[in-house]
Amino acid sequence: MTAPDAPPHVAVRRVSKRYGPLTVLDRVDLTVDRGELVTLLGPSGCGKTTLLRLVAGLATPEEGTIAIAGRDVTRVPPHRRNVGVVFQSYALFPHLTVAGNVAFGLSVRGRRRDEIDRAVARTLSLVRLEHLGARRVSALSGGQQQRVALARALAVEPEVLLFDEALSALDRNLREEMQVELRRLLREIGATAIFVTHDQDEALTMSDRIAVMNGGRIEQLADPKTLYERPATLFTLGFVGQSTRLRGTVAAAGDGMVAVDTPVGRVAAMGQFLAGSSVVVATRPEHLRVVADTVGHEGSDRARNSVDGRIRAVIFQGSRSRIEVAAGDQVLLAEAPGRIASALNPGDAARLVWPVAETFAYPDPEARA
Amino acid sequence: MTARLAIGFAWLAALAAVLFLAVPLLTVVAASVSPTPVFDLPLEGASLRWYARIGRLDGFWPALSLSLQIALLSTAIALVIGTLAAIAIVRGRLPGAETLATALVSPLMMPGLVLGIALLQYFRAVGFTATWSALLLAHLVVTLPYVARTMIAGLALFDFTLVEAARTLGCTYAGAILRVMVPALAPSFLTAGLFSFLASFDNYPVSIFLTDVRTKTLPIKMLQYIEEAPDPTLAALSTLILAATVILLVASDRLIGLHRMAGTSE
Repeated sequence: MTAPDAPPHVAVRRVSKRYGPLTVLDRVDLTVDRGELVTLLGPSGCGKTTLLRLVAGLATPEEGTIAIAGRDVTRVPPHRRNVGVVFQSYALFPHLTVAGNVAFGLSVRGRRRDEIDRAVARTLSLVRLEHLGARRVSALSGGQQQRVALARALAVEPEVLLFDEALSALDRNLREEMQVELRRLLREIGATAIFVTHDQDEALTMSDRIAVMNGGRIEQLADPKTLYERPATLFTLGFVGQSTRLRGTVAAAGDGMVAVDTPVGRVAAMGQFLAGSSVVVATRPEHLRVVADTVGHEGSDRARNSVDGRIRAVIFQGSRSRIEVAAGDQVLLAEAPGRIASALNPGDAARLVWPVAETFAYPDPEARA
Repeated sequence: MTARLAIGFAWLAALAAVLFLAVPLLTVVAASVSPTPVFDLPLEGASLRWYARIGRLDGFWPALSLSLQIALLSTAIALVIGTLAAIAIVRGRLPGAETLATALVSPLMMPGLVLGIALLQYFRAVGFTATWSALLLAHLVVTLPYVARTMIAGLALFDFTLVEAARTLGCTYAGAILRVMVPALAPSFLTAGLFSFLASFDNYPVSIFLTDVRTKTLPIKMLQYIEEAPDPTLAALSTLILAATVILLVASDRLIGLHRMAGTSE
């Protein structure tokens, strides 16, 4: 990590990309500091891969600029950008050996043979494949191919590493293992990296910061914790993690808080709205506490919301259980550790209690029209 | 027990099929070393004198030269056109690419006779009378489908991300094509060239309509020899052609693997 006033290592300014009538990126801004790992997270078609390709130079924006290490590279072709790209398909060269693949970038740059050999050996040992240099790439497993692709990108000592869904092709266990290992490796060598994924767990595990993308724009750019705990938009809330939502109308507002009339009663939430606005109030399921006793005096107060309902389903998910509670015509989602959940039965009356400080109000996207 | 019997039967059938295919070829080889002008089994002794007579066959050298010229040239042109067409079909997002691909390969499914007559009438109609050029064009029609089919299949399997990967690693666009796409497609290219060459070299039904008295390809000349003097000289020539083909195939197998050429793996 560099000093906070250091210029960004990668700077994307007001970049737009259109394919015919389709706007894939709409005036996107993004900066990545030296040594930082930023993830572009979003559903397919949100523009995240396009943004990565623009940084790599494999596509050119209609407007805006892209700078790498202080140099404007907006119109610079990929071979003169010094970026390393790890592709989803790995794109290893089938006619070359593992070492041949890793050496490719250096041999294109016309480096001396002994210098290349040293760099290849060093890079292969970095990804722990030093014993497989002479192997054909088709003889490797998926995880090994992934490492070769990484080594090939690392070997040229690029300014920035770009990963396009690089782990998606691996099976779940291997993927999680690689996430941690890749994270550690990138830290170790101080690499600046941009990571494209549609997998929220991967984004949360890997990133210093996450840019949640939707419809060609960045919805929110924040560190994983902030993104999860304080999602700025309803889209971010829905895309990262689970949520419980209620539609309603603001009855009273003030002090950065609103009281919202919902189908299950009045709920207090954080947010600035005028009275009468249509909003969606939401919270994370783990904040909802299920109280089996609905006659007790634990109810709403200034710091807590509470809703009475009936348990509709208890879904076992290992260490935790998902509990669906029906209140009126709404279904609220709660989460509880197995120990508590095992005492709950579908059909039981239950009260949901959760902190106002973890309840947020967002403009209702469907009411805006 | 039944399964074993079935497998045994399958082996037997396979062996019979191989014998059925190989026996005529072996007969030709045997005939070529026959000491007598009339081939008769069992052979009594062996002789290579028919091989020595090949070169003295009337008009043999011009016919061989013509066949080689036409085969090499039509293959070279077909490789260029066919590969470019295949790139356009696989990558060009053309409307009707499928139809275009089918049309390009369709001469393969056409009887050679029909093709020959059609080309003859067409060339007559447009007043195209240069025999050599007509032959070349006709053979291009024969060879292009082989190249197009093989290259379309090869390109469909080619991951164009490889080119992008090479570019991000420091290659110019042309450099990426040269260093990555060409080697990756080399097996398809070689296969296409080989089949195209063989298809042209031994083509009879199309050539027969387009040759004249002085310009005859080798297969046509060979049929003429048979009609004139049926002695083992032709068997000797056939044996040489067979040997050349086998050498070509073995060399290709060493280079890229026959199973890849046949498209039976990878």
